[in-house]
Amino acid sequence: MLVVLALPLAAALICLRAPLAVARAVTACSGAASFALVLVLIPAAAQRDIDYLRVLRVDALSAVFMLATGFLYAAVAVYSIGYLSGDQGGHVPSRRTRRLWAGLNLFAWAMLAAPMTSNLALLWVAIEVTTVISALLVAVEDTDGAAEAAWKYVLLASAGLGLALLATIFAYYAGAHVLGQSYDLGFTQLLAVASRLPHAAVQLTFVLAVLGFGTKMGLVPVHTWLPDAHSEAPTPVSALLSGSLLAISFYAILRFYQVAEAALGPTFPRNVLLVFGVASLLLSMLYLFGQRDVKRLLAYSSVEHMGILAIGVSFGAPAALAGVLLHVLAHAAAKGNAFMGAGVLVRKLGTKQISAIRGGLDLLPWSGPLFLLAVFALGAMPPFGLFRSEFEIVAGGLGSGSYAAAAILIIAVTTAFFGLAGSVTRMLMLPLPRPAAPAADRIPVAAGAGADSSIAAQPDAASGTTTSAPVPARGEPSAWMVVPVVAGALALLWLGVHPPAALDELFARAVTLLGGGAS
Amino acid sequence: MSPALPIPVVQLLQVVTIAVAAPGVSGVISRVEARLQGRTGPRVLQPYYDIAKLFRKEALAPIGSSWVFLAAPVAAMTCYLTVPLLIPVLTTFGLPLGYMGDILGGGFILSLASFLVAVAALDSGSPYAQLGASRAKTFGAITEPVVLFVVFTVALVTGTDLPYALAATVRSTAGQIIRPAHLLAAAALFMVILYETGRIPVETHTGTNEFGMIEEARPFEHSGPYFALLKWGSAMKQLILFTILLNVFVAPWGLAATPSLVSVLLAIAALIGKAALLGVVVAVIDNSFAKLRLFKITEFAAGAFLLAVLGVFTLYLGGG
Amino acid sequence: MSGVVAATVAAPSALSGGANVIAVGVLLAEFGMFRQALLRDQVRLYAAQSALISVLAVVVAATRHLPDLYALAALSFALKTVIVPVVLRRMLRGIGAIGGDPRWNDIAGSTALSVASAVLIAIAVAAFGFFTVAALGLTSPVLPATALSISVAVVLVSFVLMIVRRDVISQAIGFLSLENGVSLTALVVAAGLPLILEIAFLFDLLVAVVVFGLLIRVHHGRAESMSTAELTSLRG
Repeated sequence: MLVVLALPLAAALICLRAPLAVARAVTACSGAASFALVLVLIPAAAQRDIDYLRVLRVDALSAVFMLATGFLYAAVAVYSIGYLSGDQGGHVPSRRTRRLWAGLNLFAWAMLAAPMTSNLALLWVAIEVTTVISALLVAVEDTDGAAEAAWKYVLLASAGLGLALLATIFAYYAGAHVLGQSYDLGFTQLLAVASRLPHAAVQLTFVLAVLGFGTKMGLVPVHTWLPDAHSEAPTPVSALLSGSLLAISFYAILRFYQVAEAALGPTFPRNVLLVFGVASLLLSMLYLFGQRDVKRLLAYSSVEHMGILAIGVSFGAPAALAGVLLHVLAHAAAKGNAFMGAGVLVRKLGTKQISAIRGGLDLLPWSGPLFLLAVFALGAMPPFGLFRSEFEIVAGGLGSGSYAAAAILIIAVTTAFFGLAGSVTRMLMLPLPRPAAPAADRIPVAAGAGADSSIAAQPDAASGTTTSAPVPARGEPSAWMVVPVVAGALALLWLGVHPPAALDELFARAVTLLGGGAS
Repeated sequence: MSPALPIPVVQLLQVVTIAVAAPGVSGVISRVEARLQGRTGPRVLQPYYDIAKLFRKEALAPIGSSWVFLAAPVAAMTCYLTVPLLIPVLTTFGLPLGYMGDILGGGFILSLASFLVAVAALDSGSPYAQLGASRAKTFGAITEPVVLFVVFTVALVTGTDLPYALAATVRSTAGQIIRPAHLLAAAALFMVILYETGRIPVETHTGTNEFGMIEEARPFEHSGPYFALLKWGSAMKQLILFTILLNVFVAPWGLAATPSLVSVLLAIAALIGKAALLGVVVAVIDNSFAKLRLFKITEFAAGAFLLAVLGVFTLYLGGG
Repeated sequence: MSGVVAATVAAPSALSGGANVIAVGVLLAEFGMFRQALLRDQVRLYAAQSALISVLAVVVAATRHLPDLYALAALSFALKTVIVPVVLRRMLRGIGAIGGDPRWNDIAGSTALSVASAVLIAIAVAAFGFFTVAALGLTSPVLPATALSISVAVVLVSFVLMIVRRDVISQAIGFLSLENGVSLTALVVAAGLPLILEIAFLFDLLVAVVVFGLLIRVHHGRAESMSTAELTSLRG
């Protein structure tokens, strides 16, 4: 366990000093190794809680989140090799590339450390560290948009974490009534005395925690930084942000949920989560239509999925809770894939605007279809993992009687799928406009002349404009960028079709931790 | 043992003290202010001479003004003569007519007087007077609630809204002075006093700066005895507000506990002394700050409102 | 005796009254930030607020005999009253200092609302905080309950401050005053804090300054002005 903690940190330090080639290799190795180590931890965590050194603690719940983070770390590390090497004069200035590598490692380290903390205070500190590092990473690109996004992110996330700190203080206050003035906010301690904690304080704590950590998780109405930050950050960072950081913030909320549920009974915490979850789902669903920037689109999809997570927990049935955990894993893989695929598209065509990206399937023999698959997975299409998880969530919801919420969930997810898929299929399937004649001035070119493309008949306004730039050549920008996406897709399939038994054990134990079955 | 004065005499003395001492306090303030500015300044008793002179002069009324214009100064004066009956001016115990109204009633009567003067100013038809009246009432929309909140503070602390009770409570322990609600209410009341008496930072008391006049503009059109009444009345209002601040909030000491002659005389002297001290403070503030621009007076009033509201909150919700 | 008879509110002891006054002072400083137009005045007001909190910490340490708290008070005084304003000042001087024209004396960017309206909204928000705390019946073993209400009100009002202000520095100072509010809450709720939380505070503040500093530098590198009114490109 200690190695998991130390490895990315060491990698980060190396990256600061070493030449770029070494940095890339080190990061990739560190990513792969961390993932492997987490896999090793799983069977152990499925049996019992592991305590270490009084400040570290891994139980089944933490293992799930660490798994998600570990996988993304490995994937992103490999992906970044391709992304950053092919960045010829791209947005990231070269002097910052080294910092980007180091930052990636630090970021992953912090996100791996957070689930391993044993008390609420350290948890807060770890998440604060992730905020700092991710803010710096978001700002690494040298554009106005990046600066604006980073500022908004820091302001909102820090304010939210201030609220979360307030929640931690009140949690301490609640515990002090029973445990005396000085104790550390260890989970096991708090859970043990949970039934004796004063109700009002715990209620306040939970609401503040949901608001505060929900800011980092992307719950409406404090999600406004999310689209900006996720779209302006460099792609590997966006993938980590969407796939892992949101999940880690959710983990923090889950810890508070554990305490609140034990102290207050299930009704109040679940209602709170339900409210926020439904709000997030509905709002993001609406925003998915009419997005013009591909990464922003994916960011809103993240908000949607976080809403689904919150609703899933609010159902409370064991099936729903297991679905939530599976969803965390599957979403990490799918969102990571989606961002990575989007990154390839953007790299290939040089723009993030949906209206300007065309012909993905033609140009990218590997990444195009994989991106499509990832987006379908996000829309909960079988046989991918997300379908399975959402199915479980809905089943749990119907089983525990929350018919209205389950219905909303289904409708919203379907609508969101249309929104997402609509834009993405346009990007991938519509053929590229032909370039104008070399000596001509601006002659509008008719939309695509692919004889076998029936969609080309409609006058697509955007591709009616000229493209005086040469059509990009067909082919992948880099093999490095494809491999992790393939791995991710395979993982999604595996999760969807037949999750391994070890995972099932893990989930079962985590579900009992979350009080599954109590209603 | 000095002879005990009959209670009605004491009550009358309250009114008389305020009426007689009021111009003197104004005189003290202008003298101190001038001294601080390095001038010799007018003599302290100058306002008396001014009022006497005005009474001998001829009264004029603008064409088109109605009886309101002439009645208002008299009515306002009546109000100002009534209020000292209700507040602890000289004594620590309530006087019989003092139960006619509590501090809320006192506040209302003061507002009534102010309203009457404003109506007279409107009636005069002069643009400066009307401007002053409208400004006074606009800012009054924020300062009147402040007075109300201050009254609430009194009520919450003592359980009654009689100013006598609050004075007694404040005298009881040192802790009462320190409590934030008390300090906040006193500060809020002081800011309202600065507004009501037309001092910096709200307006310049001396001189006629038309762009900034609020209080001073209202008696613009009156002349002769009516003007004398208005001047006297506003001096009395100043002293009444000072008295409320001093004898209820800040320094409720030196009041007569028994109606004996000596203690009453001492009380009179104490009151005049305390009012003079407060006047010195006001003069110092006058010389230290600049006048706020007109639209920033809302910030000033909002600040007073904030202090008053916080006073009520800390008291009501926190036991502070 | 006529007059309304109602339940009276007992007077607190002189010491807790004094502590309450200091807490009120913190809240007033928070409100005062609404009025400050110059950036330099805002920074100074923030320093004054932090100083008040350190004083309160010392008072609590003295009355409850908590030696750790003395150290914490001294540390936070050094950090928040001395170092942070100096850092901010340095940053402002560095930026836009062409020919000795520092931004230190700059007027903050225009706000979304006028001062008076913003103050009134902040009063409403603070009232909400007061009532919530009172309704939940939370008490503190260390300071009177007023201080708890006040600290929650400070946090809420600082949110209003951050929303109303348009330029980067003022928003940063708003966030720092949020930090002050949270540390005041910690002081009220749990003076016997475990060391962990104390570290968390100072860490948070340190991080805030570093990150903000970096970002403001980045921000200014891109946009010549510090106004976030320009930052409207990302929408929808």
